[in-house]
Amino acid sequence: MYKALDHFDFDHRLMYVRNIFIFSLLFLVAGLVYFQLVKADEYVDLASRNRLRMIRLPSPRGNIYDANGVPLAVNVRTFEIRAYPMDIRLDEDYESTANLFARHGIPMTSEDLRERVERQYVAPYRAISVVGNLTLAQVSDLVMDDEFSRRLFPSPVWRRIYPAGALAAHVVGNVGEITREELEDQRDLYYQAGDIIGKNGVELMYEGELRGTVGEQVVEVDSRGRRLRNVNYNDPQKGTDLNLTLDLAAQREALRLMEGRKGALVAMDVNDGAVKVLMSLPAFDPNPLTWGISAREWSALSGDPDKPMMNRVTGGAYPPGSIFKVVTAAALLMEKTVDPGKTTVYCPGYFRLGEPPRTFRCWRRSGHGSENILGALRDSCDVFFYQNGVKLGIDKLIEWGHDFGVGEPTGVDIPGEVSGNIAGRDWKRRRWSESWYQGDTVNYSIGQGYLLMTPMQLVRVYAAFANGGRLLTPRFNSVKKPEWRDVKVSKANMDIIRRGIRAVVASGTARVAGDYGVEVAGKTGTAQNSHGEDHAWFVGYAPADNPKYVAAALVEGGGSGSSVASPVVAQMLSYLLEHDK
Amino acid sequence: MFLPEVSYNWSEIRAGLDKIMAVLTCALFALGVVSIYSAGKGVRSSTVVFVVRQLIWGGASAAVYIVILRVGYRNFIRLGFWLYAFTFFCLVVLFFKGVASKGAVRWFRFGVISFQPAELGKVSLILFMSRFCARRPPENIKNLILTLAMCGSSVIMILLQPDLGSALVYIAIIFAILAVAGTPVKYLTWLVITGLCATPILWKSMRAYQKLRLFVFLDPYIDPQGAGYNVIQSRIAVGSGGLWGKGFLQGTQGKLHFLPEPHTDFIFSVFAEEFGFIGGIIVIALFACLFWRMLRGAFRVKDIRAKLLCIGVVAWLWFQVMESIAMSMGLAPITGLPMPLFSYGGSSLLMVAIALALVQSVAVSPVKENFAHF
Repeated sequence: MYKALDHFDFDHRLMYVRNIFIFSLLFLVAGLVYFQLVKADEYVDLASRNRLRMIRLPSPRGNIYDANGVPLAVNVRTFEIRAYPMDIRLDEDYESTANLFARHGIPMTSEDLRERVERQYVAPYRAISVVGNLTLAQVSDLVMDDEFSRRLFPSPVWRRIYPAGALAAHVVGNVGEITREELEDQRDLYYQAGDIIGKNGVELMYEGELRGTVGEQVVEVDSRGRRLRNVNYNDPQKGTDLNLTLDLAAQREALRLMEGRKGALVAMDVNDGAVKVLMSLPAFDPNPLTWGISAREWSALSGDPDKPMMNRVTGGAYPPGSIFKVVTAAALLMEKTVDPGKTTVYCPGYFRLGEPPRTFRCWRRSGHGSENILGALRDSCDVFFYQNGVKLGIDKLIEWGHDFGVGEPTGVDIPGEVSGNIAGRDWKRRRWSESWYQGDTVNYSIGQGYLLMTPMQLVRVYAAFANGGRLLTPRFNSVKKPEWRDVKVSKANMDIIRRGIRAVVASGTARVAGDYGVEVAGKTGTAQNSHGEDHAWFVGYAPADNPKYVAAALVEGGGSGSSVASPVVAQMLSYLLEHDK
Repeated sequence: MFLPEVSYNWSEIRAGLDKIMAVLTCALFALGVVSIYSAGKGVRSSTVVFVVRQLIWGGASAAVYIVILRVGYRNFIRLGFWLYAFTFFCLVVLFFKGVASKGAVRWFRFGVISFQPAELGKVSLILFMSRFCARRPPENIKNLILTLAMCGSSVIMILLQPDLGSALVYIAIIFAILAVAGTPVKYLTWLVITGLCATPILWKSMRAYQKLRLFVFLDPYIDPQGAGYNVIQSRIAVGSGGLWGKGFLQGTQGKLHFLPEPHTDFIFSVFAEEFGFIGGIIVIALFACLFWRMLRGAFRVKDIRAKLLCIGVVAWLWFQVMESIAMSMGLAPITGLPMPLFSYGGSSLLMVAIALALVQSVAVSPVKENFAHF
């Protein structure tokens, strides 16, 4: 039945393997001899003295300052009382400990205490926090009490304070207690339950630099868990301070300009990518988040329909509207669809496409008459871009969009950035099971349709026009080196577009932006909003002939861009130039 | 349903039963229960839940043991391929569940009952390999590679979980069966060399916590409060037991909650602290005798499949005994493998009982063969 090997002696092999197995158990015997006989005295001694407690001393985080050295995030020392679960797990311990706190004006019952211990329990030898947020006066009052058990350990805790409050919340972010998921995801196994960690903004992005190094105190306790002596003490090391490019005074000005509105305002240095202003409204106060807020407060904040926690500058994707026309214009010029000297389009106020014809309207119903590319940019003539956009074709348009970083994160050094969307045929087929129509190309050419961009991506595009073709990576860290890649647009074509958007403010759709003492070049835009009033856009840089700063404003529900958003940008740019050192 | 000549009746079982092996099994289980009882008696928390559950599982395992003995190992070997295919399928499903939940998934849960395919896989791998290697002896390179491909695929699935401990048990089983089934020494040497070369790849694929466990095994003092804590405390427990031990229920390391997971991973530490060197030697000797008796049947039986089955089960139990006792002294990294018959845990106890019943069934079979000859 089975093809046994006649020539092979199974039992011989079996004996060999058996002997290997059985004799290898002698290795275990040798181990027992070594640990239980040779080293027994040493380990008996260790077992009887096994009364060391390690206390983790949190390190103060590095401070965060604005461009002028104004503090945005600092630490204050508070105190907490810690204990080891193994020392206070009897009912009478709970009772007496809770009474002690209650006597000193800290409300607590033995049930509260038990609940706290169980919630934080990891292992009997891991300290847990019994009460937090105590002042020095409260701690000394407690320690003076005769019944203050020596099983309780007062220890300093650094509490993070954000003096600027909501003014810089979206940039600086906030810290909070590490979650179970974060503990499991960590790579270097540095953190333990109860540690404070950056949750968003710069606090999260630069966690590694800011956190410092924890210290450790080793104390010996007696058999009842009472502290006998200090065995070892390692100082905690403070984290590295961080100087941001953000200007808090300019932030204050930004808040004044945007007061009462929802939206975003961002301003950046066109030459090195240093972000000077980032205002996302409504904002939130990060301070309560760091000490732990109640579940109800949290759900009110995170469930607010106005989304105060969202950073609209990097995390909000909107249709760019006419602001996008500079990218379309660059594509038209570079692909030679449009000859700057010759090509003109007659705008009757609408554009007809296909059979039966579908009508796309120009924003100006009466039409612009005959426009060349300069005029089309100045007057934001939609028909010019409709007609030439269809001629150019969607694939080329998307290719040039990618060249300007549309549809990819800008790489700014705060987390939570979104990519926006400039997806084409394949995406539409996958997402909507529909093929790409020329009507979609028409929409894309004036920045509508599926096209979505963040305010940060837009300032980056306009900065590239301002600085002669460098697509910068925006940054908040002032010591980080400027990074960029060059866009493929030729110098001559850049100049044409620059002239076009200069004319927007000088004589076109955003003349109102010219009233603030600086020469602004920029573009208005309206982002169609299916949920209500359209959003108003303006992106521009100044001074027009030697640009220093670029700024973008988005006013949600602000209607058309020229009246609401452009004065905000002009005033922001004028403020920045005025206060430039 | 079963053919009469491959199952046993009661008189055959009574005549052929290896009573010494049965007694050794019971003795080890009893010592385990004693340790589990002690592990549950902490200073600040005390529970007999684990002992009660372990005794219930012990009873259930004994019943399964007898049923398997009655059915006979031959019927299980026939099912080997299908059992193995089934566990492999479960492992693949688990892998995709693990991908979906972005974490290690080792269990299927059906309400209160949970099922770990890697445990069942040990038995089914042994059953499958015994038959396969008897049919296609790994004497030539073709058969050897075929066997390695069939068995190695489940090892890879387990490594992907990732469950390094179970994967090492599988490797021990596969190697032992191949060695006895007649793989030329030259090929065995090559297998060892290939295995050693694969270690760096394994290292790269390990998670941070797994690496830390390995580092800690090399030097527990690098992280005395974290992963190294367990190793240090366990070593103190074993070492402070001394020659005679501290006495039943007198161990301080376990009682003061210094040992984590005292009733599962560190059960031997609890035992060695209270019963000392003498107790430890007795347990090791009991396991040595058990392995000896398990293979006694293998020498007597003519069926090559049965010989391979016995060595496979011995390899499995041997590896887990070596690992868990060495780990308790900090001589091996922590893998979370239970100590057979000793550690608390129903499903692993049940699987060990099934395997031991199959080996016992092999011991009974020469009676049958003798009858058949007359």
